[in-house]
Amino acid sequence: MDRNAEELVARVRARDADAFETLYDAYHRLVYGVAMRMLGDVAASEDLTQAVFLKVWSTPELFRGGNFAAWIVRVTRNRALDTLRSRSARPESELPESLPESDSIEDVAFAHLNAASLRTALEQLPREQREPIELGFFSGVTHEEIARQSGIPLGTIKTRIRAGLRRLRAMLDGVVTA
Amino acid sequence: MNAPHESMLDDVAVYAVGALSPTHARRVRDHLASCEACAAEYAALAPTVALIGMSQEACPDAEHGAVTVSPLLKARIMRRVRSTSQDVLPRSGRSSRSLIWPAYLVAAACFAIAIFSTLLNLSLMQQLKSSQTQVSAAQNRSSSLARSLVDERTELADIASGQGQRFAVPGGQIVRVRHRLYLTLHDLALPAHGKIYQAWTLPKGSKLMAPSTTFVPDSHGTAIVALPVNADITSAVAVSVEPEGGSKQPTSKPILVQSLE
Repeated sequence: MDRNAEELVARVRARDADAFETLYDAYHRLVYGVAMRMLGDVAASEDLTQAVFLKVWSTPELFRGGNFAAWIVRVTRNRALDTLRSRSARPESELPESLPESDSIEDVAFAHLNAASLRTALEQLPREQREPIELGFFSGVTHEEIARQSGIPLGTIKTRIRAGLRRLRAMLDGVVTA
Repeated sequence: MNAPHESMLDDVAVYAVGALSPTHARRVRDHLASCEACAAEYAALAPTVALIGMSQEACPDAEHGAVTVSPLLKARIMRRVRSTSQDVLPRSGRSSRSLIWPAYLVAAACFAIAIFSTLLNLSLMQQLKSSQTQVSAAQNRSSSLARSLVDERTELADIASGQGQRFAVPGGQIVRVRHRLYLTLHDLALPAHGKIYQAWTLPKGSKLMAPSTTFVPDSHGTAIVALPVNADITSAVAVSVEPEGGSKQPTSKPILVQSLE
């Protein structure tokens, strides 16, 4: 899929609308799904999906290779964070920083996983590890805010996030090699 | 590995998830540049974090109440894309000559149209169920639009009220009404291709400008921007021209800087 995506993006750079449409068909559910999870609002999620894809169309060179799905998830999350920031009364210094979009994520081993198997793997994580990871990724709050809201010490939250990610990684490695 | 470094590895995981504040994230980023062990940990965890996002992919159909995407969205996006693409090909293979059809062909065509209409009716019945799902989504959207209208009315009322503090800046003003902050600019030139205007805010007690909203003026050169910060704890506002998508730190000399104190 992602080797194919790289070729499609190259065609989009040459202003090929058909290639863009193919890219949209392959990835719009991913963008919209992340937007809905973060914003919980159909209109805002559609607007965000439109903004992300028009950004792909207007500046395809922002994608510098690697796993396209991983890249577009980051772009979507960062855009959704902008929306959450605009809704928040908290100062920006207390809000999480956007994920870097220029990093190229190379992990072809994961490219064949589908959303259902990923959701299953996430559900298998212990709740105390899954919740801070999902809150950190989707909710636009810092780990300090997660600790404050849950009443759990900050160090414990950090350790659980790391342990959860490592465990998830090990589980998904198992899925790939199975 | 010592305890402080274990703690840094925990920080690296939180950084990979994107749950660190800008100050904290900068510290981790600086550390990653000089520590191979932490950089390797980040390289191992970052793809896993991307997969967490991928787990949210919406379903292709509306069965079982799954999250689905309106087909109208694609039409909207593709209309914008096609209007700016350069690959509009001339129609080919169509004759400009007018055709005179014999009577038997006209009859056959009518019969074919009748069959097609019947099949179309069946198809429309199947689409009715899916349309009912779309209606429900449209109702949710309507509620959301109503909320947006309330927000916009609040902004207009704030700016037009004459209340609050106003700070004159070149080409406009900064309006502060209670804890809300607006930027109103006129005769603003459109930024160059690939560029965008970006607002910056300085939290009280901080020496670092924080990135805020990006914007472009309308066709009349007017930009009215509600800044997503609490005005009570903001000591200055600036605007600069940045690459499209915005920057984390200003990359050009600000076109305006205004203290709010």
